[in-house]
Formats: sequence, structure tokens, C-alpha cells
Amino acid sequence: MDPVKLTIDGREVVTTKGKKVIQAAADAGIVIPYYCYHPKLSIAGNCRMCLVEIEKMPRLQIACNTDVSEGMVVLTQSPKVVEARKSVMEFLLVNHPLDCPICDQSGECWLQDYYMQHDLQGSRFEERKEHDRKREIFGPYVVFDGERCIKCTRCVRFLQEVTRTGELEVLNRGDHSTITRFPGRTLDNPLSVNVVDICPVGALTDRDFRFKVRVWYLKKTPSVCPGCSTGCNISVETYQNRIARFKPRVNEEVNSHWLCDEGRYCFHALTEVERLTSPLIRQEGGLVPTDWETALWAALTGLGKADPLAGVLSGRNTNEEAFLFGKVIAKLSAQPALEVFYQERELTETEKVLKSPDRSPNFQGARDMGVSTNGGFDLLLRELIEGKFRGAYIVGEDLVSLPGNGEKIRQALEKLSFLVVQDTELTSTAKLAHVVLPATNFAEKEGTYTNRKGRVQKLNAALVPPVGALHDWQIFARLLPDVGEKISSHTPAEIFQEISRQIPRYGGLSYATIGELGIQLSDETKQL
Amino acid sequence: MEKILLRNIDIQDSHTLQVYESRGGYRALRKALKEMTPERVTEEVKASGLRGRGGAGFPTGMKWSFVPKDSLKPKYLICNADESEPGTFKDRLLIEKDPHAMVEGVILASYAIQSHTAFIYIRGELAFGAKVLERAIAEAYQAGYLGKNISGSGYDLELILHRGAGAYICGEETGLLSSLEGGRGWPKVKPPFPATHGLFGCPTIVNNVETLAVVPWIIDQGAARYAAIGTEKSKGTKLFCVSGHIRNPGVYEVEMGYPFRQFLEEDCGGVPGGKKLKGVIPGGASMPVLRADEIEGVRMDYESMQAAGTLLGSGGVIVMDDSTCMVKTAWNIARFFAHESCGQCSPCREGCHWMEKIFARIDNGSGEKADLDLILNISGNIIGRTICPFGDAAAMPAAAFIKKYRDEFEEHIRQKRCVLT
Ligand SMILES: Cc1cc2nc3c(=O)[nH]c(=O)nc-3n(C[C@H](O)[C@H](O)[C@H](O)COP(=O)(O)O)c2cc1C
Ligand code: SF4
Ligand code: SF4
Ligand code: SF4
Ligand code: FES
Repeated sequence: MDPVKLTIDGREVVTTKGKKVIQAAADAGIVIPYYCYHPKLSIAGNCRMCLVEIEKMPRLQIACNTDVSEGMVVLTQSPKVVEARKSVMEFLLVNHPLDCPICDQSGECWLQDYYMQHDLQGSRFEERKEHDRKREIFGPYVVFDGERCIKCTRCVRFLQEVTRTGELEVLNRGDHSTITRFPGRTLDNPLSVNVVDICPVGALTDRDFRFKVRVWYLKKTPSVCPGCSTGCNISVETYQNRIARFKPRVNEEVNSHWLCDEGRYCFHALTEVERLTSPLIRQEGGLVPTDWETALWAALTGLGKADPLAGVLSGRNTNEEAFLFGKVIAKLSAQPALEVFYQERELTETEKVLKSPDRSPNFQGARDMGVSTNGGFDLLLRELIEGKFRGAYIVGEDLVSLPGNGEKIRQALEKLSFLVVQDTELTSTAKLAHVVLPATNFAEKEGTYTNRKGRVQKLNAALVPPVGALHDWQIFARLLPDVGEKISSHTPAEIFQEISRQIPRYGGLSYATIGELGIQLSDETKQL
Repeated sequence: MEKILLRNIDIQDSHTLQVYESRGGYRALRKALKEMTPERVTEEVKASGLRGRGGAGFPTGMKWSFVPKDSLKPKYLICNADESEPGTFKDRLLIEKDPHAMVEGVILASYAIQSHTAFIYIRGELAFGAKVLERAIAEAYQAGYLGKNISGSGYDLELILHRGAGAYICGEETGLLSSLEGGRGWPKVKPPFPATHGLFGCPTIVNNVETLAVVPWIIDQGAARYAAIGTEKSKGTKLFCVSGHIRNPGVYEVEMGYPFRQFLEEDCGGVPGGKKLKGVIPGGASMPVLRADEIEGVRMDYESMQAAGTLLGSGGVIVMDDSTCMVKTAWNIARFFAHESCGQCSPCREGCHWMEKIFARIDNGSGEKADLDLILNISGNIIGRTICPFGDAAAMPAAAFIKKYRDEFEEHIRQKRCVLT
């Protein structure tokens, strides 16, 4: 990588050969406005918002397509540049409907933001505006407003270059240009909603999210997608203690700028359920509410007498929870059979761009924590069906509702002498339990996930859990003293410190070192 | 003056191989393949001073020398026969009357850049021309001037005729490339340039019909003879297409540097019907108009036209007499560009239509004085800020009409109607 020295706005900037001026400037903290440029897509150069002045060049140049060169002198704030930006803004708004009050993009719209930063003038356009389709359904999750579209072609390029599904294209010419689906095509590929994220304006909006809440009311919590073990970095965006949407957070080591549709919407099934707010205990006639003290005691005594014992942890449990769960089960059974839920499925080529074949975001971390003593989840499930166990402790997975084996699992669970189920709702599995413990979901707790590739990432609490439910790690922490295990950690951060002391692969790590983008486990971290 | 480009067109059956060969056709090709290296051919064209006739006047030999010699990718030569500039119909004449000159030029240029696949991209509306070319290409294949081992030289060339679908922008060379690749006729952002990253990302040269059609003559007669014609910087002859209010419209071959006024008044017979000349667009609708008083002393070459504030362009000379409403004319031209803008980049997509709408409003009597400066400002905001030169091509004439006929525009706005009727 050859170094290149150039001057931007009078500041000396050292960058590498092959970079575009827009990147070199951004690296140096100098922001050049843009619409069509996207670091992960080919250069289109069509919006002209990034025009800059380059010494010795008579015309303004687009920063997104200009290679840096030694000694280059770039001006991004000269009167000529400032004036050109104004004029590009004016052109973009010539046929724009300005329906901000009813536009879902309002508040995170690049036209609005750049208007404030670079335009701030009244329009001189007094002619009739061109009209276009206002709400065309492009696919199950995406709707298109042609009048708001600025023809940056980001959506078209994304579908050509990233998903390679090519559903969209530009149609017609001049100011009748518009975005359209190819005849007979629907925008329904497994990554389709990313076009909403990269659309700089309100032309493509998310049908699931739109009109639910104005974006400025959203509370944004950085976290990790619980959809699969890729561990895409997300922002959990909430309003009035409900999740309104997931948005991807950029992490080049994990998901780049993207999120898959399944992951994006998985919060509905995971959080929008009828919550358990009290422990339940089986009495004549069925499950009845009880207090935590009674429920925990019943669970412990029941399980203690039901050897051989199977422990099933959800793939959505955190490392901290897996660590404590292992300790609880070890105390309850001489030969504990412990596994974290893990099942694979076939992925299509487009899904493989991002998705992992499982639905267990933390199967890797759980195994690292020792929740894998029985030759894998499939074997444990088979042995459960074959009646090898007398007791089971099932956390966060509704095994009875699994496609295929569900009925056999039900029969096996019914035969157990003792079953404890810990979950957020009264699942079909929970209905069979002797003790049901109300837990919290991924969005309510703090902790860490370790993704498929061994990257430890931080989950943060975005929602307040319902009164009466406890986090899985809290439940395990309350059980531990009763089974005779001293515990001195009382927060996820403290439990993680314990992990870093006891599990060599996690040695030396802490929440501080994990940060917002996670940390890759490697041989070096092992040594620490 | 000796006719070079139009030397064959008045001969009966000039479009056939037999007639073309009987008049010395394909002699240059045989000579080049036998006696000249590809570099020699390029050098010869460089020495002739030939400049591209597609509008920009870029030196042809120099353009060819930009093709990387050591590239492992295939190289392509493309003949731009999309001729759609309003007022331009010279390529069409060559295509229909002397197709073999074009084909021979394509082969020579392909040989010079060592391309083995060449294309002729012909405007969709030129259905007859396409037929003529198809036949000429078939004849050339049959005679062994195309295909494998041309005239026993070991050089191979396939020539493919491709018909466009009728978009002006596909004449812009990178719009043409996108179209030929099977995509929308959208010009490409430059850099990279076609000479290194053209068709399908491979080194590509695009030349106009007229440019290529004169190459056989240059190779046959020698660069020196060609360079002896014309001015110091504008060599040879050029075709001009004369239309509008003129007694003898048509295609003329003119030595570069010929006096413009003399050309219009003597060669073309002047403005008919006792009317007076009001203005003339010298190089196709995208070039700035000249007022009658501005053509004095102007010569028909690149430099003189530029000095007069316009450009030679494609050589489409549009003559307007004093009955012409300049508001309507400007609107008409603006409408053409608004319709043909590919819509890719913001200033051109939005600006062309905006200007068109204002011109329309002025024409129908609802204009205001401030509209004129607004158009000038919009035009200035387009020029130099777009992906391809179409933006300039649309903005320059709009500004020129207002600047040069401002009084008429203001009067039209004041009276809310055309002041000539
Ligand atoms: C909007 C636009 C339209 C054009 N149309 C044509 C055309 O129809 N024919 C042509 O030869 N060149 C046309 N050109 C010029 C080509 O881009 C290119 O410069 C030319 O074909 C190069 O050939 P030359 O070097 O032989 O002149 C056009 C350019 C622009 C900007
Ligand atoms: S896209 Fe932006 S500017 Fe346009 S209506 Fe929506 S919020 Fe307003
Ligand atoms: S829909 Fe959005 S992303 Fe697609 S071209 Fe229009 S503005 Fe750009
Ligand atoms: S200048 Fe006009 S024709 Fe050229 S790319 Fe831009 S929009 Fe298309
Ligand atoms: S960001 Fe450079 S032209 Fe759009």
C-alpha cells in the first residue's frame, strides 16, 4: 500500500494509493456530502452532491470517483463547491413532493439533513411537478414512493451486486425516470429490506415499521441480532418499551452494513408474546401461580431426584447464563447431559451472503461455557425421545413445537418424572412442566454472545422486563447457593469476569475490551 | 476542390462492392495489411491531422495510440453510426451511398489497434441504412476483407452491425457502450476512459462514421496529401449538413477553413424568399447559435468557430431567417433535450425539464423577466457538472438563445406573445 500525501481544505492528509477523495477525506474526519456513493457498492457518480474543487482542474470533480494522487489539493468548502451543492439540492427538490409530514423517512432523511446543512433557500421552481407512483408494493416488506426517489440507484446496485437477485431497474428517461420491478418479479429475496436502509430518502420504506412511530422518538440500543449465529450488529430501536425495528450497525468483521429479513423481524416472535409474570407449579388440576421461593425450591428438589438429568439451554442464552447453567446442572446430577439447542437447515445462495444455517446465535459461546457434554444436541434429543432421562431442565426452547419430532418429544416429556421449563411465555413445552419459571428475552438483558466465527459481542438491555419475570442468569444465580455453590458475581459484568478467569479462551476479556463492535477470540486471547 | 468523402456518392450503384473496388476501394486495406504495421497505420493517421468528426474533434491517431498494446483483454473498435443530433444527416449519406468506405475504414482502424471484433452501432431509425450496410458487410466477408485471415495477411476481424433503439444519448460514446452491453443507454462515469476500460471493460475505440470513412483515403493517398488540405490545426475536409431557411439544403463537403458567410451565401444559395438571415446554428442543435452579425469573418474550422463562441460540432448547419421566433426555437430545442436526457444525473435530469417548462411558459405568454436569468442560472448549474457532455449540450444552446436574442425574449414576455406575428 503506497502512501499518498494530499491536502484537503488546507490540511495535510496521508492516505493510500487507490483511495477515492471521498474516502480519504472521511478518514481524516472531513465530511463530503453524498447520496449515491456507498462504500459497499460500485461507483455510480450520478447524484453530483460530492462535487469538490481540485487544484489545476477547471471543472469541479466528484469526490466519489476521483482517485487521490500525490500533491493533490482538494477544496471541499470553497465558494464554488458550496454553490454547486446548493444547486444540486435545488435540482433534487425540483420534482420532490416534500411530503415530510406523512413521510416515514422524516427525521432520518438525507434530503432534510442536507437541506439544513447545504441548501437553506427557497425553491425557484414554479412549474408543475412531475408525478409518479405513490405507494407501490415492491415486496412483502418494501413499499416504493416514486415521487420521493432521487434516482441514486443504490437499491438497484445493491440487488445487482450484493444479493445478485436483480429485481429492480431504472425505467424511462429524463425526469420520468423511475425505479421499477422487472415484469413478474417481487422484491422478496432474503435480504430485501436492506434497500430500505440504504435508500437515502423516503422512497423505499419498511412496511413492517412504517407509520408506527416517528423516528425521533426511538430509543436506540446497540446490540446483537438473536436470529442466527452470524451475530449481525444491530441497533434495537424501541418506543414505549416495545421494539419498533432493528437496524443494522456497520461492522465490517461481521455483517458489513447488512441485515437479513428473517433476523430483522425475528423480534416479533421473540418479544410479542403473552408474558409469564409469575412462576407456576403443578398441582392437582394443572399449573397454578406460586412465589419464586416455592417454585425454585420445588424445582431443585424435583430435579435432584430425577437422575439421569438432561439440561437443554436455548441458543439465545448469553455466555453468562450458559456459564451459570452448567454449574447448576453439574451440582444436580452426577453425569449431567447438557446441550445447547442447535439445528441446521439449508440456505439459499442469497441467504449465504449473511445468514448462518442455525437459529442459535450463541451456540458457540454456550459450548465454550461447557454446555455440551452429550455429543451434540441431536443426540441428546434422540436419547430424550428414547426415554434415557428421568428429569429435564429446558430453558427458552419450545421443543414440543419443533417441526417433525414434536409429537414424539411431547410423549417423552410426559413420561419424565420431573420437568422444569424456563421461558417467557407458556409454551406447549411449558404446559407439560412441573415447575415453570418466567424469564426474560434477549432484548431485556445484558450479556454476551459468541458468534459462529468466535467473535464475542455485547447484548444490551433495550427493554424493561415485566415485573415478576427474572433473567435466566438471575434464576441460575438464585439456584446456585441452594445447590451448594458459592457465588460472588451479581451482575452480568461480574459473571463475565468470572468467565474470563475460568475459561482460558476468554482469558483477559472484559465488557470494556469487547466494546460496541466485539472482539475476536484468538490464540492470543487464550494466552492472556 | 477535390472531393474526398463524397467522391463516390454520385456514381450509380456506389453502395456495391463492385463499384467501390472499381474506384480504388480496398486498395488502402490491401496496402496496409501487406506493407504496414499496425503502428504505421496509426502514425499515418496521426500525421494526417485527422480529428474526430463526431463532434468533439479529438485527434484520431492520438486516440488510437491510447489503446494499451500489452493488454491481455480483447480490444474493440466501434463505429458510431447513431447520428441523432438535430440538423445532422451526413453519416446517413455515407452509410447509404458509400458503405464500403466506412467498412474499409473500420477494418483499417481495427487493424491499427489490433482489434478482432468491431461493431457498427447504427441508429434504430436508419432502417434503410442498416440494410445497405448489412449487404456491404456480407459482400466484404465474401470478398475476404472480413473474417479469418483477411486477404491472406493472417489478420482476423469480425464485424457486427448493431441497431440501436432510437435514443440520442446512445450516440454519446459511453452511453453507446452501455447499450451495446445490453444495458440501459446510460453514459458511464469517467475515469476510466473507453480506450482502457470500454466495452465489457475492455480497451475500446469509438469513432464517428465520417472519421472512419476518410481513413482509407488517407492510407491510400498518404497523410501528407490530407494534411495539405485545410488549416494549420483543422486538416482535411468536413461534411456540413445544411438545413432550414436556405435555398440549397443538403450535405456539402467543405475544405476546413472555408469562409462561413461565403459558404452560406454562395455555395448554399443564401436565404430564399427575400428574407434576411437571423441566425445560424453551425454544429447541430447542441451548439450555441450565432447571430447574423456574428458570422462575419468566421471560418469553417474548429478554431475559428470556437473563437466565435460556438463549436463546429457535428457540422449540422441550421439556418434561420428573420421570420423565425427565437423563443419557440429555443423551446423546441429545449424540449428535444428534456426528452432525450437519460435521467441519470441530477443536474441534467431535473435541469433540462425545468428549462423546457420555463421556455414553454414564456412562449405561451406567461413568462416573467426574471425567468431569463433563471434559465441562464440553471444552465450554468448544469454545465460542467454532469456525467456526460449531454448536460453541456442541453445547457449551452438554451443560454445562447437568451444571451443573443434577449431583446426578443423580453419583448415576447412583455407583449405575452410572439413579436414576429
Ligand atoms: C449527447 C451526445 C451525443 C452524441 N452523439 C453522437 C453521434 O450520434 N454520433 C457520433 O459519432 N458521435 C456522437 N457523439 C460524440 C461521441 O461521444 C464520441 O465523441 C464520438 O463518437 C467519437 O468519435 P470521433 O472521435 O470520431 O469524433 C455524441 C456525444 C454526445 C455528448
Ligand atoms: S423523502 Fe425526505 S424530504 Fe422527501 S418527503 Fe420524505 S422526509 Fe421529506
Ligand atoms: S428508491 Fe431510494 S435507493 Fe432506490 S434509487 Fe430511489 S432514492 Fe435511490
Ligand atoms: S448529463 Fe444527462 S444524458 Fe448525460 S448522463 Fe447525465 S443525465 Fe444522462
Ligand atoms: S456521491 Fe459522488 S456523485 Fe453521488
